[in-house]
Amino acid sequence: MSVFSQSFSPCGRFLAASNNYGEIAVFSLSSSLSPEATGINQKPILTFTAHEGPIFALLSTDAHLLSAGNGEISAWSWAELAKRNPKAVWIRRPQYKSSLEIPEINDMIVNCRDNSLAVGGGDNNIHIMDLETGVFKSVLQGHTDYIHCLSMREREGELLSGGEDGAVRIWDCRTGQSVHRLEVYKYEECARPQYGKWISCLTTDSDWMLCGGGPSLSLWHLRSLSPTSIFPLSGCQRQAMFYQDLILSVGEGHFLSHCLLGGDVKSLIPCSPPSLNTVALNTNSTEHRVLTVGGSSDQIDVFTNLSYKAFSLSF
Amino acid sequence: MPFPSETEKKTTLDQALRGVLEAEIKGSCDDFLSLIDLSIDSVTEGICSATTPFLLLGDVLDCLPLDQCDKIFTFVEENVSTWKSVSSLFWVHGSLCDLLRRLSKSQNTVFCGRIQLFLARLFPLSEKSGLNLQSQFNLDNITVFNKNEQESTLGQKHSEEKEEGMEVEEGEMGDEDEPAPCSIPIDYNLYRKFWTLQDYFRNPVQCYDKFSWMTFLKYSDETLAVFKSYKLDDTQASKRKLEELRTAGGEHVYFAKFLTSEKLMDLQLSDSNFRRHILVQYLILFQYLKGQHILNTEENWNSWKNEGCPSFVKERPADAKPIRPTRKRPAPEDFLGKGPDRKIFMGNDELTRLWNLNPDNMEACKSDSREFMPSLEEFFEEAIEQADPANMVEDEYKVVRNSNYGWRALRLLSRRSPHFFQPTNQQFKSLADYLESMVIKLAKELPDIPSEEIKTGEEEDDDNGDNLLKETNDSPGIQHKLVSNQQMDEVAAKLGSQWKSLASQLEMKAAEMREIETESEDVDMQAKLLLVSWQDREGTQATVENLASALTAAGFPKIAEALTET
Repeated sequence: MSVFSQSFSPCGRFLAASNNYGEIAVFSLSSSLSPEATGINQKPILTFTAHEGPIFALLSTDAHLLSAGNGEISAWSWAELAKRNPKAVWIRRPQYKSSLEIPEINDMIVNCRDNSLAVGGGDNNIHIMDLETGVFKSVLQGHTDYIHCLSMREREGELLSGGEDGAVRIWDCRTGQSVHRLEVYKYEECARPQYGKWISCLTTDSDWMLCGGGPSLSLWHLRSLSPTSIFPLSGCQRQAMFYQDLILSVGEGHFLSHCLLGGDVKSLIPCSPPSLNTVALNTNSTEHRVLTVGGSSDQIDVFTNLSYKAFSLSF
Repeated sequence: MPFPSETEKKTTLDQALRGVLEAEIKGSCDDFLSLIDLSIDSVTEGICSATTPFLLLGDVLDCLPLDQCDKIFTFVEENVSTWKSVSSLFWVHGSLCDLLRRLSKSQNTVFCGRIQLFLARLFPLSEKSGLNLQSQFNLDNITVFNKNEQESTLGQKHSEEKEEGMEVEEGEMGDEDEPAPCSIPIDYNLYRKFWTLQDYFRNPVQCYDKFSWMTFLKYSDETLAVFKSYKLDDTQASKRKLEELRTAGGEHVYFAKFLTSEKLMDLQLSDSNFRRHILVQYLILFQYLKGQHILNTEENWNSWKNEGCPSFVKERPADAKPIRPTRKRPAPEDFLGKGPDRKIFMGNDELTRLWNLNPDNMEACKSDSREFMPSLEEFFEEAIEQADPANMVEDEYKVVRNSNYGWRALRLLSRRSPHFFQPTNQQFKSLADYLESMVIKLAKELPDIPSEEIKTGEEEDDDNGDNLLKETNDSPGIQHKLVSNQQMDEVAAKLGSQWKSLASQLEMKAAEMREIETESEDVDMQAKLLLVSWQDREGTQATVENLASALTAAGFPKIAEALTET
């Protein structure tokens, strides 16, 4: 089993995780973090099959959990999920050119400004859907190969996308045009030809951008569109995030990497799964402010203190 | 009515002093401090019993509230020399221990510390009562931590409560959380396991039980895995963490007991000092279990205890000073030598020899062979044996009846036995009776004396007398072989005409050398004469060793070798 994606509930008390069988498991963080938690508490309170194929992306809005798999997007009510009632609120499907092959959806992101959802996947395009009406209003075309990851630059209202073609494209959401195109593998300091050119992880906080995959994980200054730090991590990184003045990253290898902004790898914290796909930090609740990682195992490691694994949730 | 004896006078004064103290007790500290001072002076004058100052002190400490005891204790500290000289360490110890018991270790930490330091310094290091001879563990040292939720002072909400709140709309989500004392997630699993380890450190004997050992292993594995997963690197710690860790004082962090709140766990794990403490605890545990030399200082203490705690006071080295061939500067002869190695010429060979047995008079007096005072065992052996009723020795034959023996026994007791100073209410009609009771006490204390080795008191007597006149056998020089005539012949033959180079090594004066030359034409003979005059001059110092070293120095190593081999 592989865990591909995670999402915390808006109240911060639950964690939803998805796997390659199309299942979603909901865990109660409050019970697993309580002083008298036992093995039972580390099991999900609810597991259900959401899609037919693997679910690569999960996202939480204010009241709903969105899951994307098998070319369609489903929405579930968190309130209902907490009551162990898995009933989809809505299911939508972007318009694909060909109806024979259904491309997978690899990543989703919400644009809070205009309450729209951007999904990118196997058809090399980014589809924008209006969350209120459910209508797919536009398609962003430009990538020449499938899209791995999406990120939102809130302040400027720009969308970033990284794909298998090795390009990171910056899109203006209003006009729908690609503003910039960064071919990371062309930069010598980042490039790792032995791995490839694909970009599998992307994250931004408006001024800075982290991206990695085939090329090394690198920190870019978006104003100047130039790399400032390269992180010497072995293996390809699949997800990275900013945390205070650290960079946390997971990918190939059974550890969570802590890196400093300057480019140094501070520490590698061992985890249970041999390879990691997803890392998530629960910012919705201070009481349950944990970091969870999942990967090619049914164990999801929970960190209360970033420096060591406290316990594992079991899918 | 007979005139009151000294003892009676003393007891009267004792009683008076105690009475005054009782009256004054409500007064100020200074009053009774001066009273105690007075009593000390009285003891020195001899008009008061030796124990009175201590009784007074004890009374004072018992009656006063703790804040005033501080002043009294300062007084005790200041007069440390007085206590030592009156040789009543045990009294001071007793009253201070009582005081310690009254004090609270957490509230009066400084005061407790002062008393304990004082007690530690009071007794010599080898005082057995202050030692943990069997290396027992302090089983009272229990680390308290929150084992279950009820004990926890942190208000964790139950999961049932939480799930009700799901219906509430977005805005109110955040408000539902009370300002709970616990605002960070806590890893209770690790918390509990970590602090349970302390119990194993407290009582390592538990490790020998299989089940406990498995638990210990499991918990230790987890803890050490945590340590390992995140190696601490101070220079790269994030700025926020550094500020949290910085202590008020600065560098050296000392704490007496672990703080075990759950919230501190994260911080403690990130603190390198804390980790170091835990790791040292592991080391101590392993040291106990395996007896390895991880902590070498502990080994030293163990062996010291095993040897019966010999005193650390260095005895004067009784062994002979290393012999050096006398290298006199070619200065005009002086018979008042400076320093212990210089030979002193007394003008007469025999006198010179006698005097130079040990030219330094002070050293000679200090040498062990002049230690004529016998040990308690030796001296009282016979008396102890006689005191044994099984032996059925008649009273009049007992050696303790001998007044000479008795006098010497008293002197010996005053030098060697603490029993001499123990106050006793027993009245002894005669010295012999007193000695009998002392002998019985000693017999209990001293190790068993095998009955075969009996030295009578008379023999001791003779020995003591003769030693003054006998030549001491321990003087340096005679232990080494003197050069024999034959050896000298051989050396002379080998030396031949080169005897002059040896002469300078042997510190022969020019005048003497000329004399030798004129005496004989034959070089061998001259060499022989050189050696003879050297031997005459050196007397007991004319050893093979000295000659050999002179030969080597002069450049005749082979001859030296040959000489030493014969």
